[in-house]
Amino acid sequence: MIRIKYAFASVLFLFVAVGFAQEVVTKEKEPGHNNQSKFKQLYEEFATPNTYRSASGAPGPDYYQQQADYVMDIRLDDKDAKIFGQETVTYTNNSPDHLEYLWLQLDQNIRTKDSKALSKNGSTVKQSEDTEDFVKKYITESFDGGFNIDYVKDASGKALPFTINFTMMRVDLPTPLKSGEKYSFDIKWNYNIPDHTVDRARSGYEYFKEDGNRAYVIAQFFPRMAVYSDVEGWQNHQFWGNGEFALPFGNYEVNITVPADHVLDGTGVLQNRKEVYSKEMMSRYELAKKSYDKPVIIVTQGEAEAAEKGFSNKTKTWKLKAENVRDFGFATSRKFIWDMQAVKLGGKDIMAVSMYPKEGNPLWEEYSTKAVAHTLKSYSSHTFDYPYPKAISVHAKNQGMEYPMICWNYGRPNEDGSYSDRTKFGMISVIIHEVGHNFFPMIVNSDERQWGWMDEGLDTFMQYMAEQEFGELYPEAIAPNGKYPSRRGDPAKIVPYMSGDQSTISPIMSNPENVFQLGPNAYGKPATALNILRETVMGREVFDHAFKTYSRRWMFKHPTPEDFFRTMEDASAVDLDWYWRGWFYTTDFVDMGVKNIKKYQVAKKPVTGDLMSKVFLVSSDSESYDPALDGINPSETSKTLKEYMMDNMTEAERAAVKEPKYFYEITYNSPGGLPMPLIVEYTYADGSVKNITYPPEIWRKNSKEVMMVISSPTELTNVVIDPKMETADIDITNNSWPKKEQENEFDKMKEEIKGK
Amino acid sequence: MKFFRKALIILIMPLFAFSGAHKFYISVTNVDYSEKDQSVQIITRIFIDDMNAVLKERYGIPSKLGTDSESAVDREYLEKYIRTKFLVEINGETVKYEFIGKKYDTDMVIYYLEVPDVPLKNLKQIGIQNEVLTDIYDDQQNVVHFNINGKKKSHVLVKSHTKGMLNL
Repeated sequence: MIRIKYAFASVLFLFVAVGFAQEVVTKEKEPGHNNQSKFKQLYEEFATPNTYRSASGAPGPDYYQQQADYVMDIRLDDKDAKIFGQETVTYTNNSPDHLEYLWLQLDQNIRTKDSKALSKNGSTVKQSEDTEDFVKKYITESFDGGFNIDYVKDASGKALPFTINFTMMRVDLPTPLKSGEKYSFDIKWNYNIPDHTVDRARSGYEYFKEDGNRAYVIAQFFPRMAVYSDVEGWQNHQFWGNGEFALPFGNYEVNITVPADHVLDGTGVLQNRKEVYSKEMMSRYELAKKSYDKPVIIVTQGEAEAAEKGFSNKTKTWKLKAENVRDFGFATSRKFIWDMQAVKLGGKDIMAVSMYPKEGNPLWEEYSTKAVAHTLKSYSSHTFDYPYPKAISVHAKNQGMEYPMICWNYGRPNEDGSYSDRTKFGMISVIIHEVGHNFFPMIVNSDERQWGWMDEGLDTFMQYMAEQEFGELYPEAIAPNGKYPSRRGDPAKIVPYMSGDQSTISPIMSNPENVFQLGPNAYGKPATALNILRETVMGREVFDHAFKTYSRRWMFKHPTPEDFFRTMEDASAVDLDWYWRGWFYTTDFVDMGVKNIKKYQVAKKPVTGDLMSKVFLVSSDSESYDPALDGINPSETSKTLKEYMMDNMTEAERAAVKEPKYFYEITYNSPGGLPMPLIVEYTYADGSVKNITYPPEIWRKNSKEVMMVISSPTELTNVVIDPKMETADIDITNNSWPKKEQENEFDKMKEEIKGK
Repeated sequence: MKFFRKALIILIMPLFAFSGAHKFYISVTNVDYSEKDQSVQIITRIFIDDMNAVLKERYGIPSKLGTDSESAVDREYLEKYIRTKFLVEINGETVKYEFIGKKYDTDMVIYYLEVPDVPLKNLKQIGIQNEVLTDIYDDQQNVVHFNINGKKKSHVLVKSHTKGMLNL
């Protein structure tokens, strides 16, 4: 009784204290604040939905997109490494607007001698410089790249005025192009092809000095229509090097003239196979079309090596036709070995194709086409059936770059044909990644120039799933690893980045030119965020349906980040505003910890009057805590409880009850700023383990601290937060109770050395 | 904190990429202080094949680090190379460090360096000059994380900027 009175007194005192405190505070009242909650709705960040883009995240009733069709004649001059082109562009204005001018992309202009891109990162004097670098920087002239535009003419042959602004070109129309109308015009151009192994151009040639040949991977090579859309008008962010590109969809008819001893493949379907293939190649191709389990060689290494020794002055024209693609690329050389196999997807046969110089073997003949075929199957199962007739992986040194149906990939063995695991897995991973880009952004046509993460992040996430599936399907290919050694995707792998200096990290929602570390920013972090969303926050079933919905809604269309965010919520009934806000709009990180544990027992208290119906709990640091009562059933300690159970439960029910004897109040804290599900593993004295995942909403009202009560029949011995490292928690020293002493890696090495 | 440190180095992975997905060249170094040993302790993780490539290119030895045919010569040149390209500076002066040991983890080599006899009270400034692999790869990124007496700083060192400092 005395204790209870005291408790009453303290409650009264508390009121007084609060009253007093308020009086003091009135003099310097705290200022108000706006909504600081991590769970605040994203209405301010998101554009208001409209009839072009619905609140559901789907294209709205008035959604439109432009179309650009091309007929092109291309000629490659292998002697001087120059390329010449003449193109007819037919542009369809499906927008409701009248267009006074058209903008085209001239990506090659990033390589002009006076390119602004050269100075984008500033420069410093190096007090000691490699001679070769010095000569390049100060003595010799820089590479003479960029487009030479011979003319722009209308359909009747009349010259059209045009203005070049860095990597873009404006063509002025005699009369505005009305909504719903088409306009055709011609451009003639040429440029010097760069050596892509220097300064990392995304396309160009590699020169092989042993045999004097070049292998060309050609893309971003013709004046291409820019995107005009309801969100940007004309896309107007120049090509500075990092933000790749987005283009309107269209149909292509392309004739490419190359030396007669070259083999060539590119975007689209070859129209004159019989003219350009030998009889031998033709019959091998027929076999490849029926080979679903392994590739058939179309051009052998022996044949490619024989071709390397010559240099034909004759030419051949390869005719390709592609429908509904957003760009066009091709690869050509006399050095290429070529293999193909068929992949069945959605009742259709798709060709998985690889082209590589002999320098890629033996790695390429073993893994390239296998990786292409696997990627098509894996990605299709998570999105939509691959709609194009083929996918080609071309080996180019140091390259990893994607175009519709064709991509360039690195992964070169040593000269003696040996290769490290890093080379092998790097090669398989980059092929999965670049072939995977067919889905994002070649088909789900997001704007990379603005939002690098929308294609790189989504693709890297898909790549992680495809890699893990590859490991499960081909255990012999990844041995002795138990699982595929993915470089990105696992939550723990993003920890070094997210725990790094805040001055060198940017939110995912940043333009790719303006971030400090493009790799983790556009690839690793969004991929990990999506992986965590799938595995830990939403669960695979809910996530997969929503992700598939996004892919299908926006295939062959142009989505924005909001269309993705909105669809993921719309199709899952999970309000993810807090997740997008934290992971995509801020540089906050996850750090959760167990701060304190307070143990309670049911107290033995004689009670009367109003308090008779209560059960009392006392904490282990209180004077009235009785260690002798540890492990005793509460119904034996508390008369009130016993009486209640006797009055309200049958004897059988009482017998069946396993009463909790230990009560714990656990304080969890979150020094990091990202709210996440709190995954806790509780271990008890009898060895039993219980896992509880508390929803992220526990952090709604206090983002720094939350208390949870658990009760159990046996004593709690261990608490571990996030035992499987699923949340990218940057500091796990505060994740355990009792605190674990972590072994020092340096001491361990010293011990090992001593032992020797 | 100790585990955190370990996590940092184990989980390095690509900090930089350029376009679609270029092969990346990177090392990660953690520079910590041990009060127990009164020493600066340095752990570096770097790709084995890159190290073999540089030893071959620079010294003309058929280096086979990380394989069964790794030789004493390979190890000798590895240390020689590191000592040429990786310098530690304390309070503005280059200091000697001990090569404690190395081990392998899949495609990475991890090596352990220690600067002994550095009382914390005398430690005012520490610098790392890391030019490892910049002699063969223009794109090499050498990331250095300092974590000394609760003070943290990270540097991304590149060929044109090879030195990172921490003032205490």
